[in-house]
Amino acid sequence: MSGTSKAGATPRAGAVTLADVREAVNGVALWCPDDSLAVTGVVAADLMSDVLVDARSGYALVTGLVNVQVIRTAAIADLAAVVFARGKAVPADIVDLARQMHVPVFASRDSLFEAAGRLYAVFAGGPVEPGARRQV
Amino acid sequence: MSDAEFVRAYEIAGADFTNAGRASTDIKETLKNMGLSSALIRRVAIAAYEAEMNTVMYARRGTMTLHVTPNDVTIDVRDEGPGIADIALAMQEGYSTATPEMRELGFGAGMGLPNIRRNTDEMVITSEVNRGTALVMTVHVS
Repeated sequence: MSGTSKAGATPRAGAVTLADVREAVNGVALWCPDDSLAVTGVVAADLMSDVLVDARSGYALVTGLVNVQVIRTAAIADLAAVVFARGKAVPADIVDLARQMHVPVFASRDSLFEAAGRLYAVFAGGPVEPGARRQV
Repeated sequence: MSDAEFVRAYEIAGADFTNAGRASTDIKETLKNMGLSSALIRRVAIAAYEAEMNTVMYARRGTMTLHVTPNDVTIDVRDEGPGIADIALAMQEGYSTATPEMRELGFGAGMGLPNIRRNTDEMVITSEVNRGTALVMTVHVS
């Protein structure tokens, strides 16, 4: 599965930040020294091959895949952050690599579908209602 | 080699998935330190990473050499491996001979060579079955 959501379809007031992304997916920051940095769009995929084709500089990657190549792909493609979805455990070596490569990483219990949908709403200017969130 | 040319070579070990991507990451850092534009660096880095992953996934070993001149950034990748029997077929989007293990790592979607072509200005690929593959890719600086 792969899909992207670009900023600007319905412009939202102010830039979307890493803090907005974390909040939208009810995520936990595993490494994020500055959550005020801008995010320009989102790519959701488990295939890094697709990310390397679809993602643009500044996008956040939402993925259910957890391995070091996710971090390397994000760094190579100048991505703003990685959101590991599906509540998967993220080993310490992956967080360490993210820190070394300056890739902010978050963990979310949302499914890939839910996380991508919530982030789509952020970029489309729609409301994100935590009260409507299904607790996983 | 002229004084204006920068050359750096990397050894790539087949099936070493832990270190796969390190050479491309170093290439990216090297180009950044040279002050090249971020858009150009990103194109080179993506092409290099795709080629590096191909070498790790399919070949026994390979070398990746970065050449930088004032006009061009060229990456030359040569591997010892199975080679590519039908290059035109391999260039088609979605065509892949990847194993399930490769796909579990997030690669092998059949987009590698097409994405290298998309990110480079010149791409020359030659291959001999059961010997190996040579890929030379160039991005113009200006």
